[in-house]
Amino acid sequence: MADSKRVEPDLKFVKDLKAMGADTLKKCYQCATCSVVCPISPEERPFPRKEMIAAQWGLQDRLVGNMDVWLCHYCNDCSTYCPRGARPGDVLNAARALAVRAYAWPACLGRIVPDARYWWLLFAIPAAIFLVILGAAGHLHIPEGEIEFAKFFPTILVDSIFVPLAVLWIPITFGIGIKRFMNEIHTNAVADGRAKRKDIVLPDFLRSLVCVVPTILRHSKFEQCTQNKDRYIPHLLVLFSFLGLFIVTNVFFVALYILHSPGPYSQLNPVKILANASAVALILGAVWLINNRLKDRGENVGRGSYFDWSLLILVLGLGVTGLLSELTRLVHLPAIAYPMYFVHLVFVFCLFAYLPFGKLAHLVYRTLAMAYSHYSGREPCE
Amino acid sequence: MTEEQKAEDQAKTGSILVVGGGISGLTATLEAAEVGYEVFLVEQNPYLGGRVAQLKHYFPKLCPPTCGLEINFKRIKDNPRIKTFTLAEVESVSGGPGSYDVSIKLNPRYVNEKCTCCGECEKACTIEIPNAFNFDMDTTKGAYLPHNMAFPMRYVISPKIVGTDDAKRCVEACKYDAIDLDMQPKTMNLKVGAIIWATGWKPYDASKIDNLGFQYQNVITNMMMERLAAINGPTGGKIQRPSDNKEVSSIAFVQCAGSRDENHLPYCSYICCMASLKQATYVREQYPEAKIYIFYIDVRAPGQRYEKFYKKVKADENVFLIKGKVAEVTEDPSSKDITVVAENAVTGEKVSQTVDMAVLATGMVPSVAGAKLPGGVTFDPDGFIISDLAQGGMFATGCAAKPLDVVSSNQHATGMALKAIQTVVNG
Repeated sequence: MADSKRVEPDLKFVKDLKAMGADTLKKCYQCATCSVVCPISPEERPFPRKEMIAAQWGLQDRLVGNMDVWLCHYCNDCSTYCPRGARPGDVLNAARALAVRAYAWPACLGRIVPDARYWWLLFAIPAAIFLVILGAAGHLHIPEGEIEFAKFFPTILVDSIFVPLAVLWIPITFGIGIKRFMNEIHTNAVADGRAKRKDIVLPDFLRSLVCVVPTILRHSKFEQCTQNKDRYIPHLLVLFSFLGLFIVTNVFFVALYILHSPGPYSQLNPVKILANASAVALILGAVWLINNRLKDRGENVGRGSYFDWSLLILVLGLGVTGLLSELTRLVHLPAIAYPMYFVHLVFVFCLFAYLPFGKLAHLVYRTLAMAYSHYSGREPCE
Repeated sequence: MTEEQKAEDQAKTGSILVVGGGISGLTATLEAAEVGYEVFLVEQNPYLGGRVAQLKHYFPKLCPPTCGLEINFKRIKDNPRIKTFTLAEVESVSGGPGSYDVSIKLNPRYVNEKCTCCGECEKACTIEIPNAFNFDMDTTKGAYLPHNMAFPMRYVISPKIVGTDDAKRCVEACKYDAIDLDMQPKTMNLKVGAIIWATGWKPYDASKIDNLGFQYQNVITNMMMERLAAINGPTGGKIQRPSDNKEVSSIAFVQCAGSRDENHLPYCSYICCMASLKQATYVREQYPEAKIYIFYIDVRAPGQRYEKFYKKVKADENVFLIKGKVAEVTEDPSSKDITVVAENAVTGEKVSQTVDMAVLATGMVPSVAGAKLPGGVTFDPDGFIISDLAQGGMFATGCAAKPLDVVSSNQHATGMALKAIQTVVNG
């Protein structure tokens, strides 16, 4: 019995999957319809049938350390055609949530961030930090005169919080998670023969990373979905609005510290136009995605769990508070504009600080998995 | 006195009505009649024999249907306690266990008992109509014999030609004065003590399964395969692919086509695994070199006898059993070849198999699913009839009750005949 393997089911893992929206996973009877109807699954060792049995048997390493769960783009064609209503799409969605948790460092944040009981804590942390800093700086009041957010929350204070978050906190915490993630998906893919190459050569991997960028920017995988095709445009909108806002933030950062030109900027400034357009796209995309999640596909297909919804709410909140801050500033409503700006910064903090622990981490994990899939010879890129 | 009047006179509360003249209905009828009870057997088709009559061979002994049906027909003919009515439908049922008033509509056959099956009317007729007995794979004339061992052995004039010149030509051609185009639908009222619903099944509509390619010419259902293989079928028993009548060098069987599927039929239709294994042997007999691919979720061969048959087919080197449900079917537009796609769940590889033709092992839908039967008959969510054994009086048998093979249908029908007898005896 050299090739036999003792299956040791991790029942806690099965329970966790079910709690993450994969409550139907035990219905699967392994007919493999899903692997065939999936429009984006590779020909060789396709998903998600093999992931379904791993889920039923509680084989954690075959799910959380599996690049394939990230190659899935949640089209849910599998769930629609599933003869048992086992919803493989939602099972893989739950597996991704548990993968994020598994690679989270510090681990306690991996548990707290996706836990619906602690949503208030996630907001309370930045709110408390801001209040303490503003209090210490004597800024806890609504400033007089023309509205300038820097009068309330000086830019130097904002940046003293967000710059370390961006250049220290995220790279360190996420870096540790990413390293473990890459090691595990590589080990797993080599072990079951999905990886054609057994080593990791960084320059080659970076080439693969570059290679998948057009696929991501074009959202070609989303476009191939049939059942959930209407998610393609809103998801693209949200991605591009984030890219737009990323560019805007960096340009204004340079403008402030190098060109010494602080805001507010004219509405006709091209960067400002990009900022406003991105904000509108972000809100539109978020509302559209929420609507898409609420769409009745039968049997709760594609509903997701708190893990998914927390990001949707965060994105919507981010967009709405940002735009409202600007609008109330323009119509001169200081009593609303300044608190709104405060709330907006709380949302921004949540987005940055919890990036490696929540749904937004898919931006990185999926990108890496797609790059690894190309690198390992599993899939070509466009 | 007409047959109907005689029947109405004879019917009493001690009689049993059997609805449906397939294998279950025949069995229930004979079992009750042969122990001394009066039975009225009504069948909506112009012939008895039901689905079994459409098969090439049937389990357990793989006899042609002539074998089993013929003896049953003889027993019916010889038994004065049985009255059969074809082209008949139950219109209404009232009363309760032990005493039902039933009205039955008799549709016109336009051919009376003088018919000798000489076939002159058929020759005279020019209009072709789709042949439902062969699942529309060919046509019959407007005057036709349902099939070559139809019982009653009597021609039928299709209502589609009544009123045409063709119908007149048929009348002129008949030397026996057997065609009567003035026949009208009639209603017959019976008093019976118990009713057995043996209304059988129909194949699941394969066009509802949008990913299995039934729109392609060379994708057929398992029941169509039976007709293709049957000696009295549209090709005289030669299995050939529909698009070009080519001999078959490879064929795929798609198991659970719509069965065990919440999107179609949630239940297992029981017979399809054995049917495909059996049909694999049909192909092998005609084409010793043909390759046969059977895609399954799990092969259900219930009982020792079926298990043995399964093992025998499995041992055949030209039969390949692949664990994985076909979920995609495509057609090469020029060659009309069919490609079926599945994931082999044992190896984890996606399999694309190109074949000459594919057979969808479609399941059973109770014939009366979605219909409203008279007399307060109750159905389960899938459309099978529920027998209220405590109340008695009305019973479902065969595939009207659940998906069954012929052997189990016969056992079930015998049991239900006894239940019906208990009702009429105990009241």
